[in-house]
Amino acid sequence: MAADTLISVVEDDESLRAALVGLLRSFGYEARGFASADDYLSVRDGRCGCVIADVHLPGTSGIALIGRLRDLGYSVPVIVITALLGPAVEREAHDRGAFCVLAKPFESEALIDCVERALAA
Amino acid sequence: MRDAEADRSEGAGILDLVHDGVIVRDLAGTIVEWNAAAAHQYGWTRAEAVGRKQAELLPHMRGESFEALDAGLEAAGSWEGEVTRRARDGRERVVELRWSLRASAAGSAGRIVETGRDVTDRRATEAALRLNDYRFRNLFEAMAVSFWEIDFNRVGALLLPLRGAGVADLRAYLADHPELVREAMRVARVLDVNARTLSLFGAASKDEIVGDGVERFWPEASVPLFVEALAATLEKQPHLISETRLLDLQGREIEALFTVSWSAESRKQGVVLLGVIDIGDRLRAERMLRKVQADLAHAARVATLGEFTASIAHEVNQPLAAISANAGAGLRWLERPEPDLDEVGAVLARIAADSRRAADIIQRVRTMAQRREPERAELCVNALVEETIAFLRHDLDSHRVAVALSLAGGLPPVHADRVQIQQVLVNLAVNAMQAMAGYDETAARLDIATEAGPQAVRILFEDKGPGFGGAVPERLFDGFFTTKASGMGMGLPICRSIIEAHGGHIEAGDRPDGPGARFVVTLPVLA
Repeated sequence: MAADTLISVVEDDESLRAALVGLLRSFGYEARGFASADDYLSVRDGRCGCVIADVHLPGTSGIALIGRLRDLGYSVPVIVITALLGPAVEREAHDRGAFCVLAKPFESEALIDCVERALAA
Repeated sequence: MRDAEADRSEGAGILDLVHDGVIVRDLAGTIVEWNAAAAHQYGWTRAEAVGRKQAELLPHMRGESFEALDAGLEAAGSWEGEVTRRARDGRERVVELRWSLRASAAGSAGRIVETGRDVTDRRATEAALRLNDYRFRNLFEAMAVSFWEIDFNRVGALLLPLRGAGVADLRAYLADHPELVREAMRVARVLDVNARTLSLFGAASKDEIVGDGVERFWPEASVPLFVEALAATLEKQPHLISETRLLDLQGREIEALFTVSWSAESRKQGVVLLGVIDIGDRLRAERMLRKVQADLAHAARVATLGEFTASIAHEVNQPLAAISANAGAGLRWLERPEPDLDEVGAVLARIAADSRRAADIIQRVRTMAQRREPERAELCVNALVEETIAFLRHDLDSHRVAVALSLAGGLPPVHADRVQIQQVLVNLAVNAMQAMAGYDETAARLDIATEAGPQAVRILFEDKGPGFGGAVPERLFDGFFTTKASGMGMGLPICRSIIEAHGGHIEAGDRPDGPGARFVVTLPVLA
């Protein structure tokens, strides 16, 4: 268990954000939520081991967030989640360097599996 | 001779006081007396008439000839009748005549005395009345309106004592005494009906209706109108017109325009004239039109939903994803060596909330997709605007359209169909969104305002798109007119048909503060 590893959840839907933070907590991870990519980017305390980001966000999108992090020199893995997964979105996410892409609604195990692999990477 | 002359002139003096024309002729037909009234009736003075043959001076224009009557007089001794004569000025006079043969006294020849009353004016009046009556009967019979003449005397006798008994509000009293209303229906006797009444009410002959009361024609639901008619009659209102339902003799409902009218004359006689016009066809056509309009609106809603399937999927997937994550967390808390039931309780509560949220979204979509009869209710326009924005929130966000609401407080409710009005608002918001797509996206903003107008509520949509540049296309609200590739161009004609069916109107123009389109929906408020 990587209890010392912080996971950031960037999701504008409040109840889903709370659910994801709760799920990660039940698996022993410390997690914190952000309502937008810009809120998350404004923190940058370097404690983040993995980011879970929604594609559709007010302001900077989840996919654009990957580029912004890389530009800032962060290599933190980003798991992209979206309710509108099509081949185009999936390809774009991978092209931009997403660690994995999940379509909502997803199995909890699938997310945890992605998180474990991301933290191990 | 002098005595005779004196007698004659004294008699003539008396005769001149008589209102009837008096003409005396001898047995040879020569006029020997002619009073002032005769001079007035026929135009010849006494001096001009005396000595003339009466048959020549006043031949009969109509009626039996003078000669024939004269010939029969000797046997009968008298005759009475009506003839038409021509006066000196050429005008025909109708005269009621009485001839009597005065037997010759000793030493003098017999005389024939005529008294005549001019009845020309009376006959003309009678003829005019007959013509009027004929015309009325003709109209009564031939009009495409069902007419009823009702004897109201016994109804009056039934109700008028109520006033004496201290009943101030007749309507309220009758509403509380339905048996009295039914009694009034029974004693309102039908005097006459026309041919149209027979065909409309399914009667083979007048016997089936005339002579009876009217109770069987009034279904329970229409009783309040009968009460209103009774009250209006007693209040001496000149007429009453209302739409209602009546029953024919077979018990089928007739949708009718019901009119009652009273003239001063008919009121005196206690007779009421009712008119019934069959408006079933018109109402059926109106219902058909409403159904077509509703079907069209439904088709448009389904088309709109089609364009929103991605958004709807997104909206539903959010709570489903949350439920899935919460369920995963709950299982995890249970699987611990010491299950954390507080955490399990918390996630179950969140699952319940997210399920409700998903169900609400499905319900919204289902309502939009439903094909149903429009249903009017009192609606708060501000709440409708907020619901519309909630419905479109995801699309507005993904188009990066900021929404600024300016909702007036204390607006009166409108009487409208919720789904249809929401459809209009969704349509206008989507149009605004599409107009701004690819225009100046950084400034994309939709301003929605509500305000009170005169007996109306107005909803204003102002976008920051290119607008109309001062020239709103004339056919903007016509069917199939669109400048956009998207199917939403179908929306505006349907918006207009919905708003106009609600008694309101919709206008397009440029927003006053710079580029952008403005749509204004005006809905009447409840009176």
